[in-house]
Amino acid sequence: MSGAFPVIRDADRVRRLAALPQVRPQALDRLRRAAVAVVGVGGLGTAAAPYLAAAGVGRLRLIDPDVVQETDLGRQILYGPADVGQPKVKAAAAALTAQAPATVVEVSTEALDAHNGRRLLEGVDVILDGLDEGRPRDFLNEYAVRTGTPVVFGGALGYEGQVVVVAPSGPCLHCLFGSVADAAADCAREGILGPLVGVVGALQAAEALKWVMGLGAPLRGRVLQIDLFAGATRVLSFAPRAHCPVCGGQGVPGARPAATSERNPHSPS
Amino acid sequence: MTLTVNGERREVPDVATIAELLDHFRIQHQAVGVLINGEVVGRGDFGTAPVREGDTLDIVRFVGGG
Repeated sequence: MSGAFPVIRDADRVRRLAALPQVRPQALDRLRRAAVAVVGVGGLGTAAAPYLAAAGVGRLRLIDPDVVQETDLGRQILYGPADVGQPKVKAAAAALTAQAPATVVEVSTEALDAHNGRRLLEGVDVILDGLDEGRPRDFLNEYAVRTGTPVVFGGALGYEGQVVVVAPSGPCLHCLFGSVADAAADCAREGILGPLVGVVGALQAAEALKWVMGLGAPLRGRVLQIDLFAGATRVLSFAPRAHCPVCGGQGVPGARPAATSERNPHSPS
Repeated sequence: MTLTVNGERREVPDVATIAELLDHFRIQHQAVGVLINGEVVGRGDFGTAPVREGDTLDIVRFVGGG
């Protein structure tokens, strides 16, 4: 059967990405070496992970204790009826490996918490938040502040979504929101418009790729809010809060990977 | 009193604090971020942080689903 399925070479996969004037060869090397944890492969995680794999991210670590349910299929488009009852990480890993064989996909069916978090996130360069509850998000924020590992937070409920990057030299999530343990998160009760998770998850994937390659301006210290009902977006900027109990007003330590360019040459100057 | 809330000028009944303003809008105090004239206010200060005529407020709730 040799030749029936042409081998897609890495160079071909990333050729359109590499055509961007800011994306230099070393940025693509960073992607190939990068490990991204996708914590939660529900709506947001299944939307984000295929873009990460497609772009040539070297290692994806999928963390989620849930199994695929019928009620997920309306928005978690990486899964089909045959996956119902399967662990999400297993079904997602199979789909991602088929999509991008060069990407190493690691899986864990543990529920990330304050006890296992350090172990589960060991060696990860960027964390993408696909969680559907607040308490482990509080942990991810604390982890970012302690270790300088960037976290691309995302949320989606009803028609409303948001993305915020907690990363070196920026404020932490607690600075703005306090604990998010009690945040409204139940789409079984509040409902959700399916494409919302695609919009938010794709934005998160873009932020993760930007961070790894040092591209453009991260959504750091800025909350991007999307309201699909109103057809409106809004960006709110915030700085570290003095006396924040998590970061002490110091924000997240560390530095961003060196930028290749801050300016988009396609936009009018 | 007149305030600018999330970019819109709004007439609201006189309130003294952020907590009262959130209650007026029936917004829960959990997982909500408030900026007054661009400065973040911690949740623990909602009950004491003053709201004054002409202030600019941004109120954003954390969206938890995923």
